[in-house]
Amino acid sequence: MLEGLVSQESLSLNSMDMSVLERLKWVQQQQQQLQQVVYQSSNNSHELLQILQFHGSNNDDLLQSSFSPFQMLGSGFGPNYNIGFGPPHEAMDECISRTSSCHMEPVDTIEVLLKTGEENRAIALKNKRNPEVKTRGEEKTEKKIKVEAETESSMKGKSNMRNTEASSDTSKETSKKASEIQKLDYIHVRARRGQATDRHSLAERARREKISKKMKYLQDIVPGCNKVTGKAGMLDEIINYVQCLQRQVEFLSMKLAVLNPELELAVEDVSVKQAYFTNVVASKQSIMVDVPLFPLDQQGSLDLSAINPNQTTSIEAPSASWETQSQSLYNTSSLGFQY
Amino acid sequence: MASADKLINTDVPEKDVFALHFLRSLSNLRTQNPLNSPDKSIDRVRKIKKAAYVSMARAAGGNSRLWSRALLRRAAKDDNKSVRFSRRKRKVTWKISSKRRRSNQRAPVVEEAAERLRNLVPGGGGMETSKLMEETAHYIKCLSMQVKVMQCLVDGLSQK
Repeated sequence: MLEGLVSQESLSLNSMDMSVLERLKWVQQQQQQLQQVVYQSSNNSHELLQILQFHGSNNDDLLQSSFSPFQMLGSGFGPNYNIGFGPPHEAMDECISRTSSCHMEPVDTIEVLLKTGEENRAIALKNKRNPEVKTRGEEKTEKKIKVEAETESSMKGKSNMRNTEASSDTSKETSKKASEIQKLDYIHVRARRGQATDRHSLAERARREKISKKMKYLQDIVPGCNKVTGKAGMLDEIINYVQCLQRQVEFLSMKLAVLNPELELAVEDVSVKQAYFTNVVASKQSIMVDVPLFPLDQQGSLDLSAINPNQTTSIEAPSASWETQSQSLYNTSSLGFQY
Repeated sequence: MASADKLINTDVPEKDVFALHFLRSLSNLRTQNPLNSPDKSIDRVRKIKKAAYVSMARAAGGNSRLWSRALLRRAAKDDNKSVRFSRRKRKVTWKISSKRRRSNQRAPVVEEAAERLRNLVPGGGGMETSKLMEETAHYIKCLSMQVKVMQCLVDGLSQK
């Protein structure tokens, strides 16, 4: 039975000479046929999926035409099935969607594919070309929203809005169901029970998740954030940390201002330092070899005398007027940066 | 710090880069004010602090970050230098601030804290909350790097 369907499909779909009307009629025929098939063979859904996926991979027309019976199929299946369609190409501005009923009811049903990943990106598809697909009784309420194309879809979604609002009641009633997973490229979010599925709240939810993801990242950076839970506490900690760092900078600059006269004595040091650092940038390896690594927070006294000869040899510096002060200063400051 | 999150790129250059920029700016300061040093200590502190921030912004990536751009612009404005930024930033700011007005209604807890953060992080006024978080992360990393550099310098100087 299925093979017959397949061949019929392939024949008709592959002939691109069909006019649109003929194709629509064909689609309706297919739906009627599939309705019979659906209840008979829920086990063979696997094959159907493969078939339709194969079809869908050919081109967009095939996709569109094959999608509608597919949607029908998906909605008609038992609790374990939710089928959507995911073409691999990215430029899917036309959303395939909630299969809408005939012109009478503007209610759309959203067919969504669920991926049981932890990702929370979603894609909303709307089928523009086939409004004739009949709705089914039990509709799953999962929605895909493309986060990147949020603004686009929000514009296109305006037309969807009234449709979606109408079905939001039904969506609130349905519960979560398990679904089979197809291997698709994108990730979907499932609307939870009791939550609205209109566009704005979903977009907002996506935005909030983005923000919380970034806050988690911040939590790793800021030390001591793990103990506090909740967004408010964490944000307070982060703000506190930033203020601390800024205060530290100010404090250290004050210290440097105090110590400044010592720096000012060694004016020739400037060119030396620059020479040193250009060397560092150019050939890090050679200098690292000469100078031993020091820990970041060096508390102990530096053994300058041992290191001085190394330093001077590795750098071509103006040797004129190498005062001991400037030399040691130079060494300490340079040594401090190798950790 | 390995960032496990591939979406946000908050890589910060090595310590040497920061050190180089900071020392260069310090030496510039010194050449500007010769040894007679007519300044009072407060002015010197302020100049050093400003030099620290500017060098940090340059080391952290010049124009590639919003906060560094805003910082450099602020510093240039203080000195009445000409700001060499493209006009594009202005238009973007306008659009973002209007977007922010609408998004300010969402999650008032977060937004209130974000407001405080905006005052702290340079250039935060024109950013959305999610972008603000990214910038804060990078800013924190750079600040801590700069603090380390300055600490090492001070230690080196004070030990001698």
